[in-house]
Amino acid sequence: MSDQPIAVKTEALSKIFSQEAETVQAVRNVSLTIEQGEFTALAGPSGSGKTTLLNLIGGLTQPSDGRVWVADQELNTLSHKALSQLRLHQLGFIFQAYNLLPVLTAKENAEFPMLLQGIDATERSQRVTKLFQQTGMTGLENRKPGKLSGGQQQRVAVIRAVASRPALVLADEPTANLDSTASAALLDMMDKLNQDLGITFVFATHDSRVMERSKRLIHMTDGAVESDVSRT
Amino acid sequence: MTYFTIILPLALRNLRRQIRRTALTASAMIIGGALLIFTLSFGDGAHEQWIDSGVRQDSGHITIERPNFRITRKIEDRLPEQIRLTAEQAIETLRSTGYIDTASSKLTVLGLASSPAGARPVQIIGVDPVSEALFTTLDDLTIEGRYLESTDTLAAFVGIGLMRSLDLEIGSRLVLTAQDTTNEIAGQLVRVTGAFETGVEAADQSLVHIPINTANDWLTANNAVTNIGILVEPSHVAPQISSQLQQILGASLSMRDVAVMNWKEAMPELASAVMIDDFGAYVVNGLLLIVIAFGIINTVLMSVLHRHREFGVLQALGLTPKQTSAIVLSEGLVLTTVSGVLGIVISISLSRYFLGDGIDLSALVPEGSEISGTTIDPVVIPMFRTARIVQSFGWILVIGLISSIYPAVRASRIDITESMKFDR
Repeated sequence: MSDQPIAVKTEALSKIFSQEAETVQAVRNVSLTIEQGEFTALAGPSGSGKTTLLNLIGGLTQPSDGRVWVADQELNTLSHKALSQLRLHQLGFIFQAYNLLPVLTAKENAEFPMLLQGIDATERSQRVTKLFQQTGMTGLENRKPGKLSGGQQQRVAVIRAVASRPALVLADEPTANLDSTASAALLDMMDKLNQDLGITFVFATHDSRVMERSKRLIHMTDGAVESDVSRT
Repeated sequence: MTYFTIILPLALRNLRRQIRRTALTASAMIIGGALLIFTLSFGDGAHEQWIDSGVRQDSGHITIERPNFRITRKIEDRLPEQIRLTAEQAIETLRSTGYIDTASSKLTVLGLASSPAGARPVQIIGVDPVSEALFTTLDDLTIEGRYLESTDTLAAFVGIGLMRSLDLEIGSRLVLTAQDTTNEIAGQLVRVTGAFETGVEAADQSLVHIPINTANDWLTANNAVTNIGILVEPSHVAPQISSQLQQILGASLSMRDVAVMNWKEAMPELASAVMIDDFGAYVVNGLLLIVIAFGIINTVLMSVLHRHREFGVLQALGLTPKQTSAIVLSEGLVLTTVSGVLGIVISISLSRYFLGDGIDLSALVPEGSEISGTTIDPVVIPMFRTARIVQSFGWILVIGLISSIYPAVRASRIDITESMKFDR
């Protein structure tokens, strides 16, 4: 282990979903540590618990057992408000289904977390404009999500996640709806943000291109960590 | 700050996004709000007419008299001169408030009216013809002859019922008999100058107006009055002016010697009739507000249920549960405020345009209908009172707020990961 500060730490983390008489253990006893600046991929087949683990790390769902620390804060000790503040200031989310706000334009969606943070309009606009240029989205700023293709929406979702410069970005299948060119461009952009700003990325992915670009590959099966390989 | 930069704009855009649903609910609320204002203003207009008619036929919005006078109607319960002078000065002082419309000093006694055809018990009111013409509505109800004039001396203005009972005509002689200030029975010959018809049998059979100077001479009352009636405008300031008069008179007089009553105290039956009618209107309006509330709950809750994913995303991005609920509350309040304002504007505009001359309910109100001895005018002019409109708008806002609370709580308590599974 290096001297880098710890971005995420989980300890014996488990999540069980119960529906009527049936229970499903989506995450089993996962203990791992992700240092700041890592570019990590969680791989595994569907139902292996990747998305649930991301949601647990992001404080979007409560663990059935175990503990999670993000930016040195233990999530299950935080109030709703403190958890919201943590998500706002420390985390960026990229969802598989884009999840853009339909009433806002592409630019407004991208600026939304910064607006919540209270960053001034000029700074917001500068950051977003630059990211729109880098992702080939220039000219589409004023379109509503319904007028954008799936790939374009995903790029807006990525811009929204990174524009506020969070310490940690949690990305669930970020390239699932993109062609190879767009995927490569998006990965380049995230790689650059990782290099330049030290943003930590954790991906849940099936995509071999993402796995190849990651510097650490955690393989999950049936909710448990099967292998954890760091690559240089 | 977050409210005006994020929460309110999001609420407004969400309302605009579902424009048809918003418009439908707003329409229902506008109609509800307009009906609410209309029913209240119609009720207020009708009540104002009852009150106006009642106080003008009786003792005014405020009456100053001896405590026993209302029961006895005897000359011995006339106002002492000192009290009368102080009261008239107080009225002059209060004219500066702008609320006093007119005042009329009267000498009222119970007596007998007789003619060769017979005799009838009557209430004889000695009035100053000029000030009483501004006070009473009886002159407007003249059906034969004319009302009293300032130059009249031995004149009487009588009800049509009395005229028929005593077989009188315009110019007929009539003898009035009553107890004078020396406790002697005194008679006075007068001639009929005119007759009125209120439609209220008791009034048409028993009211007689004569000049107050004639009454004073006849009853050896030495310019005395038994009661001073005051009309105020608007009528709802009567308790306030009455209280001010009591303070002024109370400072120099013992309140045991004089009673200052507003119309509610002087005419409790009429006050009760207004209150009962108001209660009925409140029940109907309460039901109307409940219907409006369900409209809001339906719209806002449906909107929340359809936007689970969106609220999940907002909270994942850092919006707190409270801020999420504030969006929903704002949607409900904006919808309510806009609809409420439009409802009020539409109600007032349409009522003034189409019903400026009043609603004629002759088909529903039989001629001569009365409430507590007060004639009902079948033409009702809706009355829009600022306080009532503000009060109604306040109720609409409260209903909007309360109706939005449940949907807002639902939005704030969503499970973020579950909400992401919702289909868009």
